[in-house]
Amino acid sequence: MSVSFVLAGVLGLLFALGTFLLLRRDVVRVVWGVTIIAQATNVYLVTMGGFAGSVPVLAGHGGHGGGHVAVQDPLVQALVLTAIVIGFGTTAFALVLTYRVYQEHGTIDLEGLAESSERPETGGER
Amino acid sequence: MTTDRQPTVIARTVTRVVVPFILLTALALLFQGHNLPGGGFIAGVLTCTAFALVYIIYGRESLRTLLGIAADGPGVLGGITGLYARLFAVGLLVAATGGVVSMALGYPFLTQAVLYLSDLPVVHALTAVPGVGTLELASAFVFDLGVYAVVVGGLLSVLSVVGRE
Amino acid sequence: MDPTHVAVVPLLVPLFAAVATLLLRPYPTLQRGASAIGGVGYLVAVAALVRAVTADADGYLVYALAGWDAPVGIVLVADALSAFMLTIAAIVGVAALLYSLAYVDAEDQRLSYHSLFHFVLLGVTGAFLTGDLFNLFVWFEVMLMASYVLVVFYSGPEHTRAALHYTVLNLLGGALMLLSIGGLYATTGTLNMADMAHRLANAAEYGIDPAPVLGLSALLFAVFALKAGIVPFQFWVPDSYRAAPVPVTAVLAGVVKKVGIYAIIRVYFTVLSGAALDVSLPFVAGDSVLAYFGPVLLVMAAGSIILGGIGAVNQPDLDGLLAYSSIGQVGFIALSLAVAASAPFGSEVMLVGIAAALVYSLNHGLAKGALFLSVGVIRRGVGSVEFADLGGLSERDPVFAGGFFVGALALIGIPPLSGFFGKFLVFDTAVRAEAWLALGLALVGAVLTIAYFSRAWNRAFWGEPVAFDPQPRLTLVVVVLGVGLLLVGIGFQPIADAAQRASEAAVSRSDYIDAVLEVGR
Repeated sequence: MSVSFVLAGVLGLLFALGTFLLLRRDVVRVVWGVTIIAQATNVYLVTMGGFAGSVPVLAGHGGHGGGHVAVQDPLVQALVLTAIVIGFGTTAFALVLTYRVYQEHGTIDLEGLAESSERPETGGER
Repeated sequence: MTTDRQPTVIARTVTRVVVPFILLTALALLFQGHNLPGGGFIAGVLTCTAFALVYIIYGRESLRTLLGIAADGPGVLGGITGLYARLFAVGLLVAATGGVVSMALGYPFLTQAVLYLSDLPVVHALTAVPGVGTLELASAFVFDLGVYAVVVGGLLSVLSVVGRE
Repeated sequence: MDPTHVAVVPLLVPLFAAVATLLLRPYPTLQRGASAIGGVGYLVAVAALVRAVTADADGYLVYALAGWDAPVGIVLVADALSAFMLTIAAIVGVAALLYSLAYVDAEDQRLSYHSLFHFVLLGVTGAFLTGDLFNLFVWFEVMLMASYVLVVFYSGPEHTRAALHYTVLNLLGGALMLLSIGGLYATTGTLNMADMAHRLANAAEYGIDPAPVLGLSALLFAVFALKAGIVPFQFWVPDSYRAAPVPVTAVLAGVVKKVGIYAIIRVYFTVLSGAALDVSLPFVAGDSVLAYFGPVLLVMAAGSIILGGIGAVNQPDLDGLLAYSSIGQVGFIALSLAVAASAPFGSEVMLVGIAAALVYSLNHGLAKGALFLSVGVIRRGVGSVEFADLGGLSERDPVFAGGFFVGALALIGIPPLSGFFGKFLVFDTAVRAEAWLALGLALVGAVLTIAYFSRAWNRAFWGEPVAFDPQPRLTLVVVVLGVGLLLVGIGFQPIADAAQRASEAAVSRSDYIDAVLEVGR
């Protein structure tokens, strides 16, 4: 039981940190915030298997020759692996996009971006 | 990398020693991936860390000269980046084709099979050698190989394009 | 080849088209040819699937990937609902693809455009076909990741800014979706949609406490609404639609939005509706998730119709007007779903409501596709889409003006175009349910639609003619879509039957469960 409390606390902390970063004006911090929330989601997913679920997928298939051995739910691990791969790609894209935003606007401050949108622009060829 | 500070001798030596081990571990993960922890993705990421280390310590031209490829041409996909992009595409093709082959044989898409080589009499003698267990050939390996190529190609093209900026 | 493979072919065609267009980068002409063949092949594959689903006795095609049966394995499930949505995706997607061959710069096409476009189609197809909640997330991400790149395609200042908003919001949406899926898995012990529906309907038997489902489904609901661009999750829509290349915008508005709508129908009406919940909140009473989301969706639909309509009336340029218009039009779809959700499960009103949402989706997909593609014609022909720079286009190119006119009339809902039946069904749903508030909203929305389209027509197509360079190839696609709208309207009976079958498939939970889990039994 104590493990779940620790995990719940850590998860709460991670989500709080991610939300805090998400609300900053700096675009890089916002991307970090999203990344931290994505990672916190992964941790949360792992906790959703094993002990938290009321109905494990492979009930009773854990032991090798006698005795019920407690196993982690393999499904959530597979889910997290997939989610990590996806998160990996999107984070890389978001960071490169941030760099590109900096190149185009000369700032990564969100309010600066909003101001540059108010100025009349010629706009790229579309 | 146009920093005036060169990497130290320690960094260069460590890189030289460590990179082969990283690549070897990556290959081990790739080969055991179909039924043990490991697989194409993690092996690809590990391979890329080795390449990234070479990039950082020896500069981004080092790998290109090592592989003997012409200097970056104009455009985003010139030179070595184009090679990485092609590796990505080929990997995708291999992974997708691996799934379709099973359809041609009358099974659903992505169906996999395992062939135990050690059941063959010729190979069976090998299993007596200490350290060699059952030998198997899993069709899932083809898929893993495709994923490996996709990850290596994709990550390295990101690395070289961003590194060029 | 085994005929059951027909369910997986619509996925394989865009996948291999994407690979081929990546490999053929050194040969631009071949690459474009491969992309076009892939597009037409996709249309054929979808047509074959639709035919197979219609011909099937039960109307369900279940395909167990890698031979692992449900509920352990991952399955593709094609039923009348998926088939209907795939038809929209195929028609709009292929029209936009052929249009972009002539519209997008040759060098841009060579680099990544075609493979990204096919990846969007792949993600959309996967989302429509999957029978697994986690795979729905994966296909969403496939679709979104390609669409991020397409939104930032021209990578100018406004494009990067729009893409930044779009990306960050959708990354957050992805995390929320994963949270909700994880919670649903912990609650029900399964991710297979049919199995989840089965377990929730027999919660006591499986020892499930369905109470957390309500909160978790609310998270999921927010994510789907974000994809569909329903108020209050609409703020990414106008900038992204302005930023993306015009054919991509046609797909984003015509197809990608509909994925959110499809997900709402599939997950809430088919899967979660069986959970017996005791909802007792102010103004809301009922015994299922639907009873709770009906009023929520009604408020969101009201916001979308009003905000989208008023926003569209105010826009200085045509693409902004159309972007806001699609917020308003999705409001109509959400409105009929809201009325359907509040009706008793499986009742006539619910069936008509879902059918109305589907017909409206088809009409909106085709009409918005045609309209956004005409934005491209104007941008090429005049060089600007600001109303201040436009005028007299109907004099300059009557054929093109006709195409735009048909698209606009279809959205307004003039018979005999398909839009008339869409609007009519929405009104019919509201009247049958005696939901006078919804009826009033639909009327307000209809008036606003007339207002902004007459403004667009007055400013751009009448008045002092401006210099216009005709774009015959691009115009052809617009006109073909316009003719399609006309044909759908004239020969509406088959479409109505298909929509009815689709809405029956959406609410026949036990058939869905039987069809999918039968494979495993």
